[in-house]
Amino acid sequence: MSEYAAPLARLIEELKHLPGIGQKSAQRIAFHLERAPREDVQRLAEALLDAKDKIRLCSVCNNLTESDPCEYCSDPRRDPELLCVVETPFNVISVEKAHEFRGRYHVLHGALSPLQGIGPEQLKLKSLIDRLKDGTVREMIVATSPTVEGEATAVYLARLVKPLGVKVSRIAMGIPVGSDLEFADEVTMLRALEGRREM
Amino acid sequence: MPLIETEAIVLRTHRLGEADKIASLLTRQLGRLRAVAKGALSRRGRYGASLEPLSYIKVWIYDRENRDLQRVGSAEILESFFEMQGDYRVQLAAQYLAEVSERFLPDREVNERVFRLLLVVLRALKRSGEINRPLLFFDYWLLRLGGFLPDLSRCMGCQKSFAGQDGFYDPVAVALVCENCRTGASTERVSASALGLVELFRRTRIEQWIEKESSPPCTQELRRLLEQIIEAHLEKKLTTRALLADAI
Ligand SMILES: [Zn+2]
Ligand SMILES: [Zn+2]
Repeated sequence: MSEYAAPLARLIEELKHLPGIGQKSAQRIAFHLERAPREDVQRLAEALLDAKDKIRLCSVCNNLTESDPCEYCSDPRRDPELLCVVETPFNVISVEKAHEFRGRYHVLHGALSPLQGIGPEQLKLKSLIDRLKDGTVREMIVATSPTVEGEATAVYLARLVKPLGVKVSRIAMGIPVGSDLEFADEVTMLRALEGRREM
Repeated sequence: MPLIETEAIVLRTHRLGEADKIASLLTRQLGRLRAVAKGALSRRGRYGASLEPLSYIKVWIYDRENRDLQRVGSAEILESFFEMQGDYRVQLAAQYLAEVSERFLPDREVNERVFRLLLVVLRALKRSGEINRPLLFFDYWLLRLGGFLPDLSRCMGCQKSFAGQDGFYDPVAVALVCENCRTGASTERVSASALGLVELFRRTRIEQWIEKESSPPCTQELRRLLEQIIEAHLEKKLTTRALLADAI
């Protein structure tokens, strides 16, 4: 990489640490920034630092937030008896999209994934159990991904939480809207049948 | 660019960009390789559960020889190991198998026996939900087929048979020695009953062994010894092994 001047090489190196950015994309972004007006680059740099400095984890639910507790945890219109458990802060946004869920959240920051070295110790489980112990939550909805990792996490959570007397439910898995039954494999079809509802 | 149909076991996948996945596959016809599945994370989900860890699949691969990354045309499930991994202990065991296979087997080297071994062990895990014996069986045969299994019946130093005596593991030589030959390095004792276990399953199929009797007491001890030997040959720590030690 020595063909670039040192500051440019350093920028490319830093950009390559970002997810989904390889050598080529890093070069493209670096050249773009080189050509851009100084003010634009400054705004970007400030936004990066500003987000880093101001965003923290909510001390209640572990969501990313500027104010602690976060907007969901401090909103009195949200039902404290309903708790939705998700893997990542992005998944909070995904659930919110449905405009259906009016309870609160708990973000695990991952799912059980032994290949990535993530076991129960690496998830935000202790704070979840502490929250459930005070008896306010009546139902915990597990909204982890429909993957091996998400499923293992859901089953693990259910076993952990049921003894506390909390109802545990799992979001439905099955045929995606807009697809075709023809393309559903055995796992998907089995889950779709298990998750059927009376009409 | 030929399109090749092969059976495969999915060792692991990870996200690539917005909607694609990279799958590490142990294929029957082409050996271990990595391939991109375009749109695997998109809304239409055309790969369904086929690219979940440890799925046994039929897959069509655009094989670009001399390239590091191939492309998945399509895939369908032959046998799923999704449900069993809902149990974290089984998930852990299954992903240990995946990690060892991925690290142990060279790129693009066809190995029919290891492919069958992995499949048989996954099925044993699925049917029994037991961890120790399927993993022990896998470790033993993987080491043996690869020519890395040290002699578990006699001392590497004096060649005397252990014959009911405990052995000692020497991590430098990656071998077992007797009480007399042990050095300062070989501090780890391996019980005679653990060493004797090998005779129990050496000529048996895993499913028969599990069906016929319950798990003998030293299974875990021998399993952990073989895990150490595998790690010694890889010259690198296994991510799943530490979690396995905590949970099982
Ligand atoms: Zn919060
Ligand atoms: Zn000896």
